[in-house]
Amino acid sequence: MSMILAVMYREFRIRTTSMTWLFYDMFMPLLYLLIFGIGFESAFSAGVETGGGRYGYNAFFLAGVLSMASFGIAINTAYGFFVDRDNGIFFEFLTYPMTRAEFLIGKILFNAMLALVQAAVTVTAGAVILDLPVRWDLSGVLVVGQVLGTAGWFFFLTTFAIRIRRNDMFNTFLNVAYFVLMFASTMFYPLESLPGWLRGIALANPLTWHTDVLRYATIGAGGGERVVFEALAFVVFLSISFALAVQTIRNPLRA
Amino acid sequence: MVFRTLEIMNLNEKPAIHAVDLVKLYHPKSKHPVRALDNLNLEIAPGEIFGLLGRNGAGKTTLLRILTTLVRPTSGTAEVCGVDVVKEPYRVRQSICAVLQENAAEIFLSVLDNLSTYGRFHSIPSRKIRERAEMVMAQFGLDEYRNQKVIDLSGGLKRRVQVAKVFMVDKPVVFMDEATTGMDPVNKRATLDAIREHARQGRTILLTTHILQEAEELCDRIAIVDHGRCIATGDLQMIKSMVAKAYDISVTFERMRPEILETARKFPLLKIQSSHNTIELSVKGSDGSTFALLDALSKVEPIVHFEVTSASLEDVFLELLGNREESADNGGAS
Repeated sequence: MSMILAVMYREFRIRTTSMTWLFYDMFMPLLYLLIFGIGFESAFSAGVETGGGRYGYNAFFLAGVLSMASFGIAINTAYGFFVDRDNGIFFEFLTYPMTRAEFLIGKILFNAMLALVQAAVTVTAGAVILDLPVRWDLSGVLVVGQVLGTAGWFFFLTTFAIRIRRNDMFNTFLNVAYFVLMFASTMFYPLESLPGWLRGIALANPLTWHTDVLRYATIGAGGGERVVFEALAFVVFLSISFALAVQTIRNPLRA
Repeated sequence: MVFRTLEIMNLNEKPAIHAVDLVKLYHPKSKHPVRALDNLNLEIAPGEIFGLLGRNGAGKTTLLRILTTLVRPTSGTAEVCGVDVVKEPYRVRQSICAVLQENAAEIFLSVLDNLSTYGRFHSIPSRKIRERAEMVMAQFGLDEYRNQKVIDLSGGLKRRVQVAKVFMVDKPVVFMDEATTGMDPVNKRATLDAIREHARQGRTILLTTHILQEAEELCDRIAIVDHGRCIATGDLQMIKSMVAKAYDISVTFERMRPEILETARKFPLLKIQSSHNTIELSVKGSDGSTFALLDALSKVEPIVHFEVTSASLEDVFLELLGNREESADNGGAS
């Protein structure tokens, strides 16, 4: 446990050396909601029908913004491997008296806490400024969803960040992966409105599972067996990603 | 510096580092795998300062990477403090700290924060971290930079921060891969003094260096690595005696006579040169044969001045590696 705390402390010290970065992280999702969300709200004034209910676009998009933010934090954290590698500290870390799992968990735990603060800022501002129908009684689900979501995406990206040693190649990978994951999911539009082939892809997309859980946690959309199944599927995705990440980082020079 | 008594005291009966038939192949599935280590054997006793010398690409860094659990060997075994690096890497990491070849520092953190963070990772109690950081900063001349971010420091200072970190902790085994590279002479001296001091307290230090004078000055024992094998291991005298050129002798006489050269040639000389009333000789042999030569010469003509120097480590290094290159060129095994 002390090693996880040491990694978290290190992440904290690094994050707090740049207030601009921290500020951007905290408020970026809210800006998405205020600019992109309001724009779409105006364009689709009829709202969005999903999970048996009709919601304003901004209320619908709130979960999309949160999953996007959590994915963004995971990207930043995974990108940290390149920064650490450039600074030479990456391999030194791996000689410290901790397990590879402790290293990864410590790295993401602090950043998952950032994702939680981000979510709190975004959801509260959304409720206050945009009058979104937030389900405060489901806050616990939101906390768990946001932490596990950020961790899942970080573990998923870690394997690639360690294996792809060039940051320009990792950037390209991210652009493609993010593009496919984001647009073949329920981040921007409900599953019900998608054509069959795209719906099939979206249903198999972990970003859909994550977003749907967050949508349930924020506005109560969906729910029932499907959300439970999606949550379990995401936990499986997280576990596999974690095992692969630990395996990859165990022998980082072979990767 | 006062550190707690090291746990290695009860490890005295086993080597601090032990490698047996260590092989490391990079790209093992390709047509031409790189054999970075080739059945390397090594044994280092607790409390030793052990120098690993060799050309670039000889396998030194690969060996350090295996011993620090960064890389797994293809075959063979390696133990640190009696713990297998492949089977129990986590336990190995609890006994070591390392200065790797790459500059490694938290560039966005201050010097003090770098030391504090390192201390936390090595489980130093919070109340002790500051105390040790102050001590180490004073020792390495980092006091005036304590609040500066490492990104703003020169390359030499960054290296100093990196090296200073390992002296924050008191792990039984320290690995240093070209630790003094880029340091000015004053800080190089401070680093060498710190290494000596820590070895006196019982820590085992394995260092690689290209600065042979440094190894000569610091190491209890040395191994010369070439093509992934240890081609020579032992203390400095032993290593020096392995090469043909063991002693250089310069003798000045009152006057030069032909009998002097005739007498000298009766000994197993590798080289003899004369100029005016001085002769320069290279002798292979023990101290005894050197004295016998001087004694014989003094009976021929009174000696005004003489100087005996043993071959430097650099001579040994070049000769050992040069011989291997020649033997490889001639089709011999390398």
